[in-house]
Amino acid sequence: MALQEREEGLVTPGDVLGKAAEVRAGKGAYEHSGLIYASITGRSLTVSPSAESPDQRPTLEVMGLKAHGAVPEPGSIVIARVTKVMSRMASVDIMCVGFKSVSEKFTGTIRQQDVRATEIDKVDMHLSFRPGDTVRAIVLSLGDARAYYLSTAKNELGVISAMSSAGETLVPISWTEMQCPLTGQIEQRKVAKVGS
Amino acid sequence: MGDKSSVLPSTLVDQLVVPGDVILDVSALTNRTIKLGGGLRQDADLITVTKAGRLRFSKPNKYWVESSQRRYVPSVEDSVLGIVVDSKADNFLIDIKGPAIAFLPVLAFEGGTRRNIPKLEAGTLLYVRVVKANPDTNPELSCTDASGKAAEYGPLKDGFMFECSTGLSRMLLSSPTCPVLEEFGKKLSFEVAVGLNGRVWVNAESPSTVIVVSNAILKSESLSSTQQRILARKLLEKVQ
Repeated sequence: MALQEREEGLVTPGDVLGKAAEVRAGKGAYEHSGLIYASITGRSLTVSPSAESPDQRPTLEVMGLKAHGAVPEPGSIVIARVTKVMSRMASVDIMCVGFKSVSEKFTGTIRQQDVRATEIDKVDMHLSFRPGDTVRAIVLSLGDARAYYLSTAKNELGVISAMSSAGETLVPISWTEMQCPLTGQIEQRKVAKVGS
Repeated sequence: MGDKSSVLPSTLVDQLVVPGDVILDVSALTNRTIKLGGGLRQDADLITVTKAGRLRFSKPNKYWVESSQRRYVPSVEDSVLGIVVDSKADNFLIDIKGPAIAFLPVLAFEGGTRRNIPKLEAGTLLYVRVVKANPDTNPELSCTDASGKAAEYGPLKDGFMFECSTGLSRMLLSSPTCPVLEEFGKKLSFEVAVGLNGRVWVNAESPSTVIVVSNAILKSESLSSTQQRILARKLLEKVQ
C-alpha cells in the first residue's frame, strides 16, 4: 500500500492519502484507524495550515471532477418555495443556496418558533406563509433525515414573492401585509424587508 | 348582458345563476363597497358567478350564491357531524366530508386535560364545531363552544346517521322550524342532529320512528312547506 503522492494526482475513493498524525482530512477525505482516505474521485491537494492555528498539520482535500450543485450548509441563506403549510410548521422546497441553484431536491422545514423573533408562540402559520410563496430563509441545522431546519426570524428573511387568490403578484405594504394590485385585497404574510 | 347588470341591486337577485353570468358591472359605481360572499368573483370590473345556484342579496351591500351539493367545503363556526378515522399524539383525525381530513385536538373538550383524554374509537360519530378552515391546511375542530362549554358537542350514541346534500342540512336548520320536523315533532318523540356537512343523525326509542323520520327527511328536499306537511301526515297515519 504505497502512499499517494501529494502533488496534483488523481485519487479514487478508498485511496490512502496519508497518516492522520501528519495530515488532516479536509473536504473529500476522511480519517479511519489512523490513516487518511479519499472519499470521492478527484485530484488531491494540500492546504497549508494557517500560522495561528494550534494544529499545524496540513489539510488534505480532494477536488471533485465535475462541478457540484450547491448544498445547503448551516448559516447559508437559501431561497425556497413553500409546498405545504400546517398548524405548527411549513414545508419548503429549497431552490437556491446563496446565488447558486441546487441540482437536486432539498426539503426544508420552517417551524412555528422559527418564523419570527417576537411572540413566537402566537404565530399563525397560515398568516405567515401560503403554498406557492417564495421565501428567503437561513439554514439553522441539517435537521432530521427528511428536511433541513430553516428560520425566517430576521427582518430581511421571509416571503419575497407571493401570488394573490386573484392570480396577481402581491405587493408588500408592511412586514405583515401584502396587497393584490388588481382587487385591493390585503393578505397576511411574514414579509421580508428588501432593499438597503 | 351589459344592460342587465349595471343596476343596483342586481336584477338577478333570487334567480338561478350559472357560472359565467355577470351580475354587476362595477366600473359605473364609485364610492360604494360591495361585499362578495361565496360563489362570486371579481374579474377586473365585472362580478361573475363561479358556482351554480341562487343569487342572494342582503342589505346594504352583500351578495352571495346559495348552492346545494353533496360535497362539503369547511367553513369556520359550522357545526358538523364527523367520523373518527384515527388518533395521533395530539389530535384525533376526523372525516367531515371535506377535501382534507380534519384535526380534533385531544384537549378540545370541556375540562380536557392531558390526564382525561377521551378514548374515541375509529368509527365514532361526533358532533363538532369547525374552528379553523383554510383552503390549504387541514381544518381544525373542537368539541366545545366558543366559551369552552360542552354544549351538546361530543360523541353521539345509538341512533342512525345518513348523508344528504348541504342544501337539505341548511333547510333542516332554518328557523322557523322546518315543516317536516315540526309535523313529526307533534306526534313522535325523537332527537335529531344536523351537520352542515351533509350528515344527519336521528335517534328514537323505536326503530320504526327512526326509519319513518329519516325517510321523510330525505324525501323532503325538493318539497314545498305544504307538501312536506302532507307527506308527514300521511306517514304518521301509517305508523300510528
